Formats: sequence, C-alpha cells, structure tokens
Amino acid sequence: MQLHPRYFGRNLRDNLVSKLMKDVEGTCSGRHGFVVAVTGIENIGKGLIRDGTGFVTFPVKYQCVVFRPFKGEILEAVVTMVNKMGFFAEAGPVQIFVSNHLIPDDMEFQSGDMPNYTTSDGSVKIQKDSEVRLKIIGTRVDATEIFCIGTIKDDFLGVINDPTTV
Amino acid sequence: MSVVTDSPVHSSGSDDFIDYLNEALDASSPNSSSDEEAENQDEFEDLSRNKRRKLESTEETEGSTSEGIVEQKLVVAESSVVKVDGCTHPGTFGKLCISCGEILDGESGVTFGYIHKGLRLHEEEISRLRNTEMNTFLFSKKLFLVLDLDHTLLNTTILGQLSSEELHLLNETDSLEAKGSLFKLEHMHMMTKLRPFVRTFLKEASAMFEMYIYTMGDRPYALEMAKLLDPQGEYFNAKVISRDDGTQKHQKGLDVVLGRDSAVLILDDTEHAWMKHKNNLILMERYHFFASSCRQFGFNCKSLAETKSDENETDGALAKILEVLKQVHCTFFEKLQGDLVDRDVRQVLSSVRGEILSGCVIIFSRINHLALPTLKRIAEQLGATCLTELDPTVTHVVATDAGTEKARWAVKEKKCLVHPRWIEAANYFWEKQPEENFFIKKTTTQS
Repeated sequence: MQLHPRYFGRNLRDNLVSKLMKDVEGTCSGRHGFVVAVTGIENIGKGLIRDGTGFVTFPVKYQCVVFRPFKGEILEAVVTMVNKMGFFAEAGPVQIFVSNHLIPDDMEFQSGDMPNYTTSDGSVKIQKDSEVRLKIIGTRVDATEIFCIGTIKDDFLGVINDPTTV
Repeated sequence: MSVVTDSPVHSSGSDDFIDYLNEALDASSPNSSSDEEAENQDEFEDLSRNKRRKLESTEETEGSTSEGIVEQKLVVAESSVVKVDGCTHPGTFGKLCISCGEILDGESGVTFGYIHKGLRLHEEEISRLRNTEMNTFLFSKKLFLVLDLDHTLLNTTILGQLSSEELHLLNETDSLEAKGSLFKLEHMHMMTKLRPFVRTFLKEASAMFEMYIYTMGDRPYALEMAKLLDPQGEYFNAKVISRDDGTQKHQKGLDVVLGRDSAVLILDDTEHAWMKHKNNLILMERYHFFASSCRQFGFNCKSLAETKSDENETDGALAKILEVLKQVHCTFFEKLQGDLVDRDVRQVLSSVRGEILSGCVIIFSRINHLALPTLKRIAEQLGATCLTELDPTVTHVVATDAGTEKARWAVKEKKCLVHPRWIEAANYFWEKQPEENFFIKKTTTQS
C-alpha cells in the first residue's frame, strides 16, 4: 500500500486502512475472485520510503471476503435483461448470461414491453427482476469483472420467485 | 453367470453383456433375494468402467427388444457426453462460449456491445436470429428502420459554439416555446434541438417499423439522445448503435442490425456512410438549426435559430418522409406478390423512387462536369430518361445559365427550363416539384 506523505501523522494507520479499503474493495483478481469487503487487518509492516518520491510503501496483511463463482456451481441470480438471445442476470458483482440454447425448449421468448420467456401454458415466466437458480458452466475473470455463462436446462433450475406476485 | 472383465470386444461379447444386463434387471425385481441383488449390483458397478469401451463398438442397437432399449439409453448417455465437445459455439459473452462455457479467444463474429457489454455472436447464430426475427416481424407486419441522429432527427451544437444571436436560446430550454424540443445538456456542454414533427414521426413509424438508432457519435451521446427522443424507452430499448459498435471506421453497416438486409430501410443525411447499403437508404435533407451546423457544411446564411424560425412542422422533411415510408410499407405488404420472406424492400424503394420523375425526358446544359454524373444518376433513379442530344421528346432542360443554346431552344419550344436544384428537390421530397419554383433567371433579354 503506497501512501502520500500528507497522511503521515497521528492518523497514519487509519488513513492507511481507509485507503486500503477504497483501493481493494470492488476489485477482482484471477486467483481469488471479487473482493467484497475487508474484514480485518492482520498486520501492517514497516514502511519503505521510495527513492525519488516521498511515497512510502507499507506491506499490509488483511483478511477479506471474496466471491468467486466456479464451474458447476449453482447460484441464485436476479434477471437484469431479457432478449431473444437469452437473458442476463447478476449475482452480486458477477454478470451471468444464459443463452437461449440453455433455456428449456418449452420456454418461448415473448417480446413486448416486458420481454420474457414463458412456458407454453404460461405457468412459468422469466422477466426482468425475476430470481432464478442457475448453474454456472463457464467463468472468466478479467481485471475488473467476472463473466459467467449459466444454464437453467437441468433439473431443479429456473425461476424461484415470480416478481409479479411478490 | 460369470462376467469376464476382459472379454474380447466383438458381437459374442455383446450378447453376453445383453444377457448379463437382462439378469441384472431381473435381479432387481422384488422376488429375488437380497444377497443375489447385492452381488449383481456390485458386479454391475465393477463393469461400468468397461461398459463404455464395449458400447462404443456396439453402436448398432439390436431391434426393439428391452435389452436393445437399455443399450440404446446407455449409448445415448455416452453420446451426450461427446456432444459438448462438438459445440457449435454460437457466440461468446466475455470470451466464454454461450453454449458450452469454454474460453474462446478467436475474433470471429460480430460484437453486439450495444445490446449488452461483452456479447459477441458468430455468423451462423446471427443468420439464425435474423431468420427468426424476420418471421416474427413479418407476421406482425413490421419492417426495420435504421435512423441517423445528427441532422436527420435533431441538431446538436456545443454550448461554446453558439453564436451571439443564438445566446437567447440558453434561456428558452424550459419555456413553452421550445415545446419539449430544445434541450440543454450541461454535463456534456451541448444543446440539442429536435427536428419539428419528430415525436409524431416516431410514434407513427413505430407502428410500421422496428426502429434502431445508428449514429456516428459515441455511446454516451447516443444514449442521451435516445433518452430525449424516447423517454419511455419504448422505441429504442437496447437498439442504440453508436460508432463504438460499428465494425468499420467511418462506415455504417447493417451487420450489427439483427434484421435481414431485404427488410431494412435507412434514413440518413449522409450517403457515403452507407457505401454497402445504398439501395436501402432514403436520403434526408439536413436539418441545420444552429449556426455551427451551417458553418460546418459551408453555408454562410443565418441559421434557423438566429432568425428565430424553424422548419415547418406539417410540411417539413420528416412529414414528407413519413408519407414515403407509409407508401413503401403499404406496397410491401399489400401489393407485392409471393411469399413474405422473399419480398425485398429495396425493390419497392427503387420502384417508388422511379415513379417520381417518370415520363420526364431530360437534357443537361452547362452543368459543372464534376457534378454531372451524380446528377444524371439521381435523375435516372427518379425515373427520368436522360438524353445528350436535343430531340422533340425532351420535356425538361436542366441548366445553370439561361443563355446557352439548349436553354434558348427550350424557351423557344416551350419546354421547361429549370435549375439542377429541381432534381435535387425531387430527390429529397420524393415528389415532382413545380417547375415554376426553379426557373432560371434570364441573363440576356429575349427577343
């Protein structure tokens, strides 16, 4: 953690901790996934002054909650957009796309004001803000985001909650 | 019956296996003793590893006996495992195949970032979607319309470029006079004026067309303008294409539009942006409300804002083009013969266009030789016949000077002598214009 000299003083540790939280929360790494929140600081090491500038680098050990979806994992997500190619859902910071190839064949796309996927008898409907249970079949982590592909074609997957009845 | 784990893999082996399965199935019936069942169950499980190897060689299922069906089910289970590797990869989301989840690094296909960030579709999937779209829309009698923003539906200027005579507009954005057509966008330092009649135009066109916005502006600008034109999000939801979404620099294309070329009409003021789709294009007369826009195109006259006037609402360009769109739509759905999917809107467009000046026989005189080929092409598209030699069938002489030999011949023979702008006006207004408005002033007195 690099700190500017203006922060040195009695609040150094607090400044360091708040800077850490600001910089790290919301970022993503390939190994650990998405950092949701910092829960505790384990240790702050001795600061090293950089040559040339007045910045000081502190090695900080901290604990945090991370979120990483895995292939094969079953997740619950909220639908954000429905179109003829499938629907997009999000589970926290993760964007999941379920293509219409992976939506059961008995669900058809209906366009209109509130585009949705509905079964032929109208009993099950997937539209914006519906909650669905889906299975992740592929993930990719990039610098700031995690992309996933999901499916609802297996047993026990699909709509959990109908937003119109809630 | 003992089952040898490494029995040779040929038909006799499969017969043994069928018998074994048969036994296993019988064993699981309620009459058998539990010991026997357990024993068979274990052997069954032991064999599961070798099952696959044997199955691969006995692909041909044997008739419709129960053993055959069981074998068939196992074969199907095997082949569904194989299917994942044979995925057609219809598209990617964040570089993951949307069908099997594999990471694909290839660059094939077209990016559809305007629908959702990270979405990319490959050719086959795009054609499949286009075809299914076609059927849905033709069924509901809708074609596709791609609309340009700048100078077609609205005019935007940067706040810093307002001329001194236009500064009064800064106070007018909320007044009744603006009637919801003048907007100031502080965060972008811009001011936008919507073209008169645009709201009615959008409402009526939406009943006949599925509309897209395609602009050469960047995405934030495009989305802001879409919000102004369509506050309820009913026309352009997820159909706003900006220059960041196009596949080629400085060119617009229909490859990012999910509609077949034969059912798309384009409304734009710039012809050279649509080099590949000229036949789908309806050229719009440019809307210059602000002085900066006039200056950009080299006009030295006062802008509409400076003279505190505006294009006529019911008689302006948008109203006229709406009539043309209605005509094309009606011809496409009512008058064309044949299957809906085989009809081509481009043919309808060129036939409607060809009626405007049909029957006119034109001769050109003293036209700038750089402009002549374009003018001739436009006239021919409008249905006129262009001759190079004087002839009794000539009906119009198009010239810039009344003193030429052809011009004097026209006056003598009582033919119409008009300025080239008569042809351009016909092109923009989709209607033959009265020739009296385009007579050339005589430079010499006639005897």
